[in-house]
Amino acid sequence: MNKSLFTKDNIKAELIVFLCRQFLVDETDIDLEKSLVDTGIIDSMGLIEIASFIQKTYGFKVTEEQMNRQNFGSVLKIVDFVEREVNK
Amino acid sequence: MSLKRCTKCILSENFPRISFDEHGVCNFCTDSLLYTTENEEIEKAKLEIVRMFDEKRGKHEYDAVVCYSGGKDSTYTLKLAVEKYKLKVLSFTLDNGFISPVAFDNIQKVVSKLGIDQITFRPSYGFMTGLYRFSSIDNIYNPRVLTRISANCNSCISIVNNLALKYALEKDIPFILAGFTLGQIPANTIFYKNNYTFFKESREPILKKFREKFGPDVSRYMEISERLLKNTNDFPYNINLMAVEDITENEIVEKILPLGWLKPKDVDGCSTNCRINSFNNFVHKQRYGYSPYELELSHLIRKGLLSREEAIEKLDDQPQDQIDLAFKELNISPSHDFRLAPK
Repeated sequence: MNKSLFTKDNIKAELIVFLCRQFLVDETDIDLEKSLVDTGIIDSMGLIEIASFIQKTYGFKVTEEQMNRQNFGSVLKIVDFVEREVNK
Repeated sequence: MSLKRCTKCILSENFPRISFDEHGVCNFCTDSLLYTTENEEIEKAKLEIVRMFDEKRGKHEYDAVVCYSGGKDSTYTLKLAVEKYKLKVLSFTLDNGFISPVAFDNIQKVVSKLGIDQITFRPSYGFMTGLYRFSSIDNIYNPRVLTRISANCNSCISIVNNLALKYALEKDIPFILAGFTLGQIPANTIFYKNNYTFFKESREPILKKFREKFGPDVSRYMEISERLLKNTNDFPYNINLMAVEDITENEIVEKILPLGWLKPKDVDGCSTNCRINSFNNFVHKQRYGYSPYELELSHLIRKGLLSREEAIEKLDDQPQDQIDLAFKELNISPSHDFRLAPK
């Protein structure tokens, strides 16, 4: 896996494409700084879907402990989390 | 005027983000929108499910809680759990007050035939009808989370999931099995660890609405007590066995008939157990312009497990007497307008 491709910009772009396709929303519906749950884009099952997408796309397992608001509280937080993990 | 539908599947013109090509084929058929047909994901899940069962089988009082509605899919799930995967299961049924009497008979016959333990939990009828009334009228969910489920089914399933988790935690059961099929759930949720603490946080906004409406009763049905959580070291996995089975409805029925299962006649074309389902579909269709079953049935068509004609027949089979019954039981005027107010 070429880690140099995992920049924050790339991760954000891939995540937004996934969210739009999977949850049937337009990019303009997504507030990058707000919780996807609070803004009604996803429900709790959506979090499982996102964690599974991350695992598959970036090749690391999201642990139970990592499934928290600090890491999943907004698109930007998810991007930061993924970037941190892939570049460990 | 009839709805314009995809010429391959049955998704209709009001479905979110839909578009049609010059042949009338929708972008869900041509562009694989949604993560439901990922074969690699399904193959991976099949292996992982077997591995997890092998690792845990026989080490607990029960291997799995099975959410059993009496419908065909959960009956087949129960059969798979016992006969194919050799699990010791606890069958759990939520009696929502609207289960067809034939479905109830099916539950008794099937659990007897399979020789398994069964729990039925019936919340107070007043709470359930109040919950359905609230979910129908008050537009409590964001439409984005209702593309494949009606508001009432969503509320009901929240209770099923919560009570199944409660039984699993109380009895230290490592798996919760449900009968969801692909189309009802995405391929990447065939199995997942039930991270209750995080889920609770994400469910808080909707729980708050329920608490405001119904008071503390809500926690009895929709939350796990702090006491139980404190005594919990590990959470169970939720697994949808039907999602890794390629099987048609007729084949399922053929396999469960020997268990004594019979198809109820007092339900709609999309249900084999619940008498409020046709009302739920009616509300969803009036509010959003499409059926909550379009996505699931379209998935089955794409997989070759259902014909387009059969799917349309199911959507059209919505008995008016069942819809009328629900209006009466939920104390909603039959002339109630469920459409969203224009913005």
